[in-house]
Amino acid sequence: MKTTRPSNRRNFLLTAGLGGAGVAAAVATGARKAGKSAPEAATASAETKYRATEHILKYYETTKV
Amino acid sequence: MAAAAPVAMHRPLAAEEAARADFYALMARLLVDAPDAQLLGTIAQAGPLGAGSGLASAWQALVDASSAMDADAAREEYDALFGGLGKAKVSLYAGHYTGAGAVDHPRIRIQRELESLGLAHRSTTQPEDHVGALLDAMRVLVAGGAGRGPAKLEEQRRFFEGHVGPGATKFFAAVAAAKEANYYRRVAALGAAFLAIETESFRMD
Repeated sequence: MKTTRPSNRRNFLLTAGLGGAGVAAAVATGARKAGKSAPEAATASAETKYRATEHILKYYETTKV
Repeated sequence: MAAAAPVAMHRPLAAEEAARADFYALMARLLVDAPDAQLLGTIAQAGPLGAGSGLASAWQALVDASSAMDADAAREEYDALFGGLGKAKVSLYAGHYTGAGAVDHPRIRIQRELESLGLAHRSTTQPEDHVGALLDAMRVLVAGGAGRGPAKLEEQRRFFEGHVGPGATKFFAAVAAAKEANYYRRVAALGAAFLAIETESFRMD
């Protein structure tokens, strides 16, 4: 089954610069590999579960009454 | 011979959808922590996005800045902008920009929405309104993740318009206006350009 998307939206995104071959993909790959906190930073992990990073948990510690 | 394991087949994303997910991933990464040398080098070596769009210009500015930036300076700038829990120069939390009521805090609304999308953790202490976390949630909605496919466009739109766009747009404006921002001014410009495209594209069908 083919997924249908509005052609005008797709054209708009492509014209805006999204869809250029591999540029953003290469960067995103670098982001995931390079950042020591990138995996923990993901709100949705590989199991699509939200996680609290150490940084954010520290923030929440400061909000406790 | 070992028994054949079941194979899950996933339809590849269209190029523009994959690019959206990649942008969300990159922006989320840059907001969660300062870029290290490897990430700076990766961005610095990336090619152009094309000519003529605001996104392409903002992207090229970040590429150029990444080639001139070193990781230590990026760390110092990140800490100067976003460090100091509770008294950061620029808040990384969307609730700061959208109005965080004591009773109906944006985190609560975001948590409800994420649960409806199958993404929420049941813990009550989650980072739902961290702008980086919101952008990464969008990445999952756009690209899917292990065990799930992309969310429907309408679901992406609802989450973006309800929880991401308004706060993140103001956040990037705040970064751009901060006198401490240098490298992150380029990050903010790229983020703002990307969000503007997302906002416009969600209105198109």
